Amino acid sequence: MNSIWAVHFNSGSCNGCDIEILATLTPRYDVERFGIKLQGSPRHADVLIVTGPVTRQARERLIRTYEQMPEPKFVISVGSCSISGGVFEGCYNCVGSVDAVIPVDVFIPGCPPRPEAIIDGIVQLLTELKGGKARTPQKQNIAEEIST
Amino acid sequence: MNTFTSLITLLIFPAGLSLVLVGMFYEWVDRKLVARFQNRVGPRWFQPFADALKLFAKEQIRPAIVNPYLFFGLPVAALAGALTAALYVPLMGLSPASSFPGDLIVTIYLLSLPTMCVGLAGWNTSGRFSLIGATRTLTQLFAYEAPFLLAMLGPALVAGSWQINTINRFTQDHWLILTQPVGFIVALIGLMGKLELPPFDAPEAETEIVAGALTEYSGRGLAMFKISRSVELIIGLSLVSSFYLGGLNGIPSFLFKSLALLLVMSVLQVLLTRLRIDQTVGLWWRFGAILVLAQLLVMILWKGLAL
Amino acid sequence: MNIEQLLAQAEQLLAPWNKETIHPESNRLDVVIIADDLRAAVNALHDAHWGYLSAITGLDLGPASAQMEALYHFCSGLAITSLRVRLPHDNASLPSIADILPPASFFEREMQEMLGFKFSGLNISERLFLPDDWPEDVYPMRANFTLDQAAPVAGRHADELPEQGVVGGNTFVIPIGPQHPALKEPGHFEFTVDGEIVTAARMRLGYAHRGIEKAAESRNWIQNLYLFERVCGICSHTHALAYSLGVEKLAQVEAPPRAQAIRELVAGLERVHSHLLWLGVAAHEAGFDTLFMYSWRDRETVMNLLEQITGNRVNYSANLLGGVKCDIGPEQAKAIKEGLNYLETRIRHYLEVVTTDVMFLNRTRGIGTISYDEAVKFGLLGPTARASGLVRDVRVEAPYGAYTHFPVSAVTETNGDLEARCEVRLKELLVSCFTMRTIVDNLPEGPLTVRMPRKIPAGETVSRIEAPRGELFYFIKSNGGETPARVHIRTPSLCNWVSVLEKAVGRQLADIPMLIAGMDPCFSCNDRVVTLKRPGSNENWSWKQLREYGIEYYKR
Repeated sequence: MNSIWAVHFNSGSCNGCDIEILATLTPRYDVERFGIKLQGSPRHADVLIVTGPVTRQARERLIRTYEQMPEPKFVISVGSCSISGGVFEGCYNCVGSVDAVIPVDVFIPGCPPRPEAIIDGIVQLLTELKGGKARTPQKQNIAEEIST
Repeated sequence: MNTFTSLITLLIFPAGLSLVLVGMFYEWVDRKLVARFQNRVGPRWFQPFADALKLFAKEQIRPAIVNPYLFFGLPVAALAGALTAALYVPLMGLSPASSFPGDLIVTIYLLSLPTMCVGLAGWNTSGRFSLIGATRTLTQLFAYEAPFLLAMLGPALVAGSWQINTINRFTQDHWLILTQPVGFIVALIGLMGKLELPPFDAPEAETEIVAGALTEYSGRGLAMFKISRSVELIIGLSLVSSFYLGGLNGIPSFLFKSLALLLVMSVLQVLLTRLRIDQTVGLWWRFGAILVLAQLLVMILWKGLAL
Repeated sequence: MNIEQLLAQAEQLLAPWNKETIHPESNRLDVVIIADDLRAAVNALHDAHWGYLSAITGLDLGPASAQMEALYHFCSGLAITSLRVRLPHDNASLPSIADILPPASFFEREMQEMLGFKFSGLNISERLFLPDDWPEDVYPMRANFTLDQAAPVAGRHADELPEQGVVGGNTFVIPIGPQHPALKEPGHFEFTVDGEIVTAARMRLGYAHRGIEKAAESRNWIQNLYLFERVCGICSHTHALAYSLGVEKLAQVEAPPRAQAIRELVAGLERVHSHLLWLGVAAHEAGFDTLFMYSWRDRETVMNLLEQITGNRVNYSANLLGGVKCDIGPEQAKAIKEGLNYLETRIRHYLEVVTTDVMFLNRTRGIGTISYDEAVKFGLLGPTARASGLVRDVRVEAPYGAYTHFPVSAVTETNGDLEARCEVRLKELLVSCFTMRTIVDNLPEGPLTVRMPRKIPAGETVSRIEAPRGELFYFIKSNGGETPARVHIRTPSLCNWVSVLEKAVGRQLADIPMLIAGMDPCFSCNDRVVTLKRPGSNENWSWKQLREYGIEYYKR
């Protein structure tokens, strides 16, 4: 797994995480050197990066985007809001955390997490995968294992 | 025995597998150069291989409404077209695997096959982004194809042959970039248009239509389209450098000349803003085609006077 | 004219309908009128060119009185005139003023959805910003709203947009968003294209609607500071600043001069970060990734400075109620100056690029042009308005905080196209850099904070500040408790949407992302309370309707 193509979904975030995700593409952090690329179409993606507390309106779109991705696929939830709802906990239009909606493999806390933290999260996903590969050859199972 | 050799030629070297590998290497060089120009570190050397391997391992989702034969057949046709075209071109400076009078025309048409397939694939998937992408791909095809062909015609005219091999031998003593600079520029830019590299990437403009015609492709299909594009890159570079840069007569000259061309192409990619599709078409027909035609006219007159 | 003269003029204009006059603050005039006189009163102000409609605030006065209030805020320089209409809960009908002032339609739709006001003449009953499975007759900003009332209606989807594919022949509907590479933030646009030409545009927001205004009512004054910071991660400082300034005004406390100066400094740095971010995104939309990479590389300089001063890259939390929490020492001052020197040379370079690069100009010059008259008519704000020659800059028109000591000048362009918007933003940064250097050199001595009471005295206040995207409007009401009674936010993006939708029709599809980027939209800001679809008779405004509308408008 040296090639990670990610698709980014904002499910109601304040933009803080989103600009930090974009910052990882730019010269100072440049994730292309790890083979990580941000793709436009969910069909081309391996990893779904979700930011923000899931709002009621974004919920169905999030599920649809997730379902459009080909297997094997992984989900990274970035930022405090996407993990627990953060400051928006209890707001009337928020469903809450991302893992209430779709299975999540990696959580990256922070408000917003630094770009270094985001890169580290993706690297941790890769290490998990490499470690898991020996145990079970089927990658789908690993995704389920991690998420449970 | 003869069949065996042809098979090797076709599948392993110089066409087939090795061509695919070299194509990926060039893709990496291109990405790396662009990244360095943009102040980034850029991908590692095996990145395109890793990408392709991963894509082959992934699930291929077929949208419910598509024609399955076309959906799965088109990527294969695209790759096959590109690989067949490779047979007539002096790849890596070696003499072409097969050669006959008039193969230049065949090659150019085979080179358009992948683009046609992408267009058809977009039309077949009938997603909205794919449809717009397909329309743009085909529009662009009509825009650059004629000027590109005319730019290839120049050297053929001077060499007095339609056979790539003959032209290649002729150009080894004639640096046509000096006598036909317009043709060279048009050929180079036409090649960028063919490969849908920036600034001619309107057919897959990420910010407007996601990934254009290939939006709905995943896994193997996408990988094959991507590989056929890197094969096209190699063939295109070989053609242009053999026609205009003093011919190809060995692996060192191939590497040197094609990498130099690639460098020029990546500088252009970095420097230029994407053209809208109408601007692309305008550019080709208003400047590209007319300039090349003018040059051809001058050449014909020159030849006529010399006789 | 000074504030007193302006307010006196407004009072005189409104005299025929005036039922009661209140002066809540020295720069504000409240005129109570009845609903039937609203249109006449608005016309009077509009015809006299008294300021512009900045926001409409809806208030629920609580179950005890069973009344609601609508406040129409008109701003002219520092002076604010509010038309106050009191209505009973069960019959809150108002005449729509959207035909007099087009931006009002957005504000009215917000009130209709959030508080249950009815606007005669608005004729839009569709969901605006709440999900489509939100129950009927439940209004989240009403005082008696509880979470269990908002249970989704069975059998409905959260966003029930007709998803058309091919309409026929060459006509497609191209959806952009909520997940789309051109938008890093969620929003949904549908552009009907005939070949490559856009023939209709509509939009649906609300994917980032979280309900912050309601949440604010259940959190105390200090918690809210951090909540509002997260309305938007790009302009978090300005949100917190507008809130702090408002609350300080209510508590009749003024932050010490050193704190004010540091606030302006951080706001300046934030503007640099925001505009460089914008430049990169705009370049990316145009397919000029190299500029994107370079401008983001240089943006890291600002991020470093912000981190050095406040400890955070994004959501810096520099503000406290009554001051700031970070100081500028000699070390930081040196770093800031060095950073600014570098940034200034880079910004000059980008200015040269966006005005001379032929390929980039192909995509910006003469595209999405908005004339001065249109800018006034649509109520545009911030750099989008200034690119059309309309001076809308709170820092200049109504200086607040340290802007009285360290003033800035407004930068304007006259062309009103995308190129002008690029230029305005970059030139503005040069002005900001100059001011920031002055602040660092002349930082007032003194404490960083003053003591704030835990309970804020009852009252209402308006706080307007200039965010990177335009005027940010906060209306804060306190009942004397530990939590605010109402906080209403009107963000600049809301007023600027119209520049996209008006200008999209008839353009090439390829220009659309640039147009959207041109106004620098901020969905998170927008959606904290408001979502809107294209206003119009039923769903879309056809180009014809729009034209007729425009012609009608100009006849008057």
